[in-house]
Amino acid sequence: MNVAYLVRKLAQALVTIAAIVILLFVLFRAMPGSPDRVSKNPNMTPAMQAAERARWGLDKPLVPDQLVAFIGSTVTGDLGTSIKFRGQPVTEVVGAAVGPTILLVGLGEAIAIIVGLALGALSGWRRGGLVDRLGNGASLVFYSMPYFVIGMPLIMVFASGLGWFPTSGMTTPGASADPVGQVLDVAGHLVLPLTAVTLGLIGAYSILMRSAIIETRAEDYITTARAKGLTDARILRHHAFPNALLPMVTFIAINLGYVIAGAITLEVVFSWPGLGTLTVAALNARDYPLLQGIFLLVSVSVVMFNLLADFVYGALDPRVRS
Amino acid sequence: MSARARWRPGRVVAALAFAASALVMALPSAAAADPVVLRVGTTQDLDASNPFNTVLVSGFEAFQLTYSLLVEFDKDAHPAPGFADSWERAADRVTFHIRTGMQWSDGEPADSADACFSWGLALAAIEDASYVGVGYLDPNVKDAGVTRIECPDASTVVAYTTDQSDRILQVYVPILPEHIYGKDDYTAIAEEKFDAPLVGTGPYTLAEWKTGQYARFVRNPQYWGPQGYEDEIVLRFYSNPDAMVQALKSGEIDYARDVNADQFEQLRADPRFTGVVGKANGFTQLAFNTYGSGTGETIEGGGPSTLALLDPAFRDALGYAIDKKVLLYRVLGGYGDAGTTIVPPVLSDWHVEPTTPRTFDIALAGQKLDAAGYPLDGSGKRLDKQGKVISLRLVTTSTSADYAKAAAFVKSWYGQLGIGVSVAVMDSSALGTLLLPSAGAKYDLELWDWMGNPDPNSLLQVLRCDAIENTSDSQYCNDAYDSLYDLQLTQTGEERHDTLAQMQNLIYDEAPYDILYYDASLHAYRTNRFAGWQNMPASSTPLFSYGILQYTLLTNAADAPIPPVAPATDDATQPAVPDLPDAGGAVSGRPVALLAMVAAVVLGAGVLLARRPRPAGADDDG
Amino acid sequence: MTAAHAGRSAHRAPEPLRRAASLVGNLLSRGDGIVGLAILLVFGLLALFPDVFVGPLEDITTVTGMRLHAPGLGHLLGTDELGRDILNLTVHGARISMAIGLMATVITILLGAVIGVIAGFVGGTTDALLMRLCDFFLVLPTVVLALILAPVILDVVGADAELFGIRATLLVIVVVIGLTSWATTARVIRSQVLSVKERMFVDRARVIGAGPGWIMVRHILPNVVNLIVAQAVLTFAGAVFTETTLSFIGLGDSSAPSWGQVLSSAQEAGAAGLGASWYIIPPATCVVLVVLAFTLVGNALDDVLNPKSAGRR
Repeated sequence: MNVAYLVRKLAQALVTIAAIVILLFVLFRAMPGSPDRVSKNPNMTPAMQAAERARWGLDKPLVPDQLVAFIGSTVTGDLGTSIKFRGQPVTEVVGAAVGPTILLVGLGEAIAIIVGLALGALSGWRRGGLVDRLGNGASLVFYSMPYFVIGMPLIMVFASGLGWFPTSGMTTPGASADPVGQVLDVAGHLVLPLTAVTLGLIGAYSILMRSAIIETRAEDYITTARAKGLTDARILRHHAFPNALLPMVTFIAINLGYVIAGAITLEVVFSWPGLGTLTVAALNARDYPLLQGIFLLVSVSVVMFNLLADFVYGALDPRVRS
Repeated sequence: MSARARWRPGRVVAALAFAASALVMALPSAAAADPVVLRVGTTQDLDASNPFNTVLVSGFEAFQLTYSLLVEFDKDAHPAPGFADSWERAADRVTFHIRTGMQWSDGEPADSADACFSWGLALAAIEDASYVGVGYLDPNVKDAGVTRIECPDASTVVAYTTDQSDRILQVYVPILPEHIYGKDDYTAIAEEKFDAPLVGTGPYTLAEWKTGQYARFVRNPQYWGPQGYEDEIVLRFYSNPDAMVQALKSGEIDYARDVNADQFEQLRADPRFTGVVGKANGFTQLAFNTYGSGTGETIEGGGPSTLALLDPAFRDALGYAIDKKVLLYRVLGGYGDAGTTIVPPVLSDWHVEPTTPRTFDIALAGQKLDAAGYPLDGSGKRLDKQGKVISLRLVTTSTSADYAKAAAFVKSWYGQLGIGVSVAVMDSSALGTLLLPSAGAKYDLELWDWMGNPDPNSLLQVLRCDAIENTSDSQYCNDAYDSLYDLQLTQTGEERHDTLAQMQNLIYDEAPYDILYYDASLHAYRTNRFAGWQNMPASSTPLFSYGILQYTLLTNAADAPIPPVAPATDDATQPAVPDLPDAGGAVSGRPVALLAMVAAVVLGAGVLLARRPRPAGADDDG
Repeated sequence: MTAAHAGRSAHRAPEPLRRAASLVGNLLSRGDGIVGLAILLVFGLLALFPDVFVGPLEDITTVTGMRLHAPGLGHLLGTDELGRDILNLTVHGARISMAIGLMATVITILLGAVIGVIAGFVGGTTDALLMRLCDFFLVLPTVVLALILAPVILDVVGADAELFGIRATLLVIVVVIGLTSWATTARVIRSQVLSVKERMFVDRARVIGAGPGWIMVRHILPNVVNLIVAQAVLTFAGAVFTETTLSFIGLGDSSAPSWGQVLSSAQEAGAAGLGASWYIIPPATCVVLVVLAFTLVGNALDDVLNPKSAGRR
């Protein structure tokens, strides 16, 4: 792989991140009354407000002083203080919500990738067969369903109806002291939301994989393999599947960037303590510093995984040139 | 790739089945020796464990469990011994006697130094014309007229006051451990994290807080009062009320705060639960922008769009166009009370009904408008005295869906009088800013609410002249009202009652506010694990009202002398149903049937879509 | 979508009428295309003439029904917690959801097509800059951006402003969907333009002295219009989907009940726990059906119009 290609992609990613930081700066300043609003309190005298503004550096000109200060603090990881969770740094509040989201959506992505690719491969290989009819149809339907539409019936049936699983949340407070019990407790809470995330994600993978397999199937080497008398299943596993997988790799890498963006509506219906629920809570409390932090985290994560996709693409495809 | 890619369906299914069974088995895991945990659900996330930084009821509940107030509340919300076990009132001071031998939960002695330190934070801020943290607690001290505090010895606290009111006994300032926070001044205390576990003198102290998930409180063995039955209290936070109600039904929680009317009726019909209608100490008001009344001032490019809003006769006439019964039923589902005066009925010591009440009568409202000099023009539009068509801008906030519902009715009713209303829903901080004259105060009507303290003062002061550019949302200024306000500050008992009655009638007649309704808070709890539930005070709810006494009064339901059954005392709190369609929804539900329907839709669509394979195309293998 | 479309033989732009006829013919020869078109036809009619089917939109002041009443004779799909008829809401929701979808699609396609065609045709530094801009917009998280932009837009236009009968609160959703989805379209169109540009007739046009604007409009655009149509249909599906999500988490306008807004009200009313499935199933089914239909038609169009391109998200 070409070093110049890597360097160029890396530079592009950095420029994008810089642009995001500047966009945040502009948006945050354009908000009605913000960030003055943060320090606005009816009990404050004008003199106190001036002091407060000076403390936050709001008395200085927007460009360059405030912009430089903003970029400086962002780079050093200081994203300000949450309004909703008073006195807590945004980085801490966001940090606490990242784990649950990665657990839920990351695991959902993993299962959806495995199941989706397998389903897509089988559907495409036996086009018009039973797997294709049911699998492809269901994939399309689930692909068209917002997460909460999948999640709500699951809660109604399996949690409040049959009582097999907890209705919401991630843990039972103080339920168990030993680690095994805690893991099982989380696992029990995880089943329903994970099912919903997985169902929602499978569609995209299986639909893409299906067309990739269909294209691969028409290639010459498959015909050759068949002529050599290899069994159908063997051709699928050893020739068609690995080849169809290549274009999927970039798609998967890009998609993983959105793991952190989470499944907002799903987290809300399950009260899952992740970034999605936090985003909505921040919205309801109009906690702009917090929203800003989430925005930054999500977009940087997407940029990074895009970069990864470029690298993977560069490594897999020798034709990549400048 | 070949070996690893080999899938053995049988093995996968077996593994999945094992995992699923392990999960299901893991769920019911309550050993006999487990602590007794009271699990309380709320949709209101805890915002801060630092008492000076919280603005939410859940935050007040959390700090009151951990920290005692100098004077607490009894079950009727009257003053009761707390950090101080007795007190005397003199003309210019109150002397508090601190409990002897009291200890913090870490075993350190708790004495007057802690009280002087905690109240001292508020007093220092007041002296600097500043505030502590978010500024929600120190106004209590200011409002009580406290000027100075002294601790002559370890068991005595003397607070000097400007007046003789008993508001000093309702001061929501938690007594913090001086041996931990004593180094902080009033700005430094706001920066403190108050990371769990906390050291307190309350019955249960905060032991663990997972943001957005739960806060766990453990028994404080050093608590000065009688110990409660439960060993732990867990406040669980839900991102939506439906999740909370489902958790209540499935037994994951014992108590649910703030459910909606339909959920409430369903829970109350179920013998496993008891529902409580808690009357809120507050109201939802339609405020008129009366900027300039009493002062004659105007705002360049802002203020009310018509001078009619400054005319009490105009506002009075509009009062006849609001059907409060319909609002109560359609917006609140019948739970609450129709609004009248500015002191809510729940403050029964002070509330009076208006002497000359208005009734709902659109025709009469029209006649009164005509008589007051606001005629209709040829096209049916109402004109003001300057001959301009009256078209009002109503602003409200999205924090509760109720506001937009009520606003829709106001728009409809005023529309029948020929007065156009445009509704703008915005977030609460944007609304708060918009209301300030310095920001233009460009609105005509505002629909929002106020919640009060045990003393009516805080609700009364929003209509004072000096509330303008501060908390005022009506820009109302009336010297007569202000002097009555100052007078009642110095009064007690019957005298104060009479003054407050005058003030309530004055505001009702002048109508800078049209009080739409007094909200209610609907709570529900399970009766199979805990007994001893009672509302505190009687018009309110067991939890999330004044004080935290209830947490220590619960008992084991298994030991209760009478088996818990559906209470027969609910009739008094049945919703008021006006002459309108059915109050209770005919709700029925079979989740499995729903799943079958959904599955049928999904499968049906899937089969339909996949029924026909695609025709041979360029990319088809034929 | 990365397929280069190279190697396709150059052909003259067919006359529009014949093209449209063969397009419909091709589409109708596919099962999924028929299903999709039929669904869209039904919802299109509902969206255009909701009053004909269910009368004017009910609001809290005009309701006659009981609260949360199960489906029955008076209210075929039951009522919501205010007593509004669910059928009435769902049919009017078609209009609101699809109006938002349409406006968002128009913004997306206009931006995407113009930028894609210019980037692909002009090339060089312009192309590089425009593609960086695409990269930037591709990474913006839709929902969070909507939350941050909402107050800014409301502040600029005023919370009670209206544009073409769409309230400002809904405009936020339109703008955000447009901003976050044009970049995909631009990229797809650019790659098509790149291949079209290489074809002979462009060189021929250049030889006879045509200006770049003329070439873009007369030669490039007709050759990418297929792709634009297919993209527009797929964008529409995405827009309805995103609108539902944004409304569900509270960015909608309760006085303009789109399907997402109805589902949001259902969630707030606790419909699931109350067993009021009639409150959830109709709007949810409509969202799924419409998104599905647009996806099917979009994929079918894509296949019919661009036989070599692989299925896309």
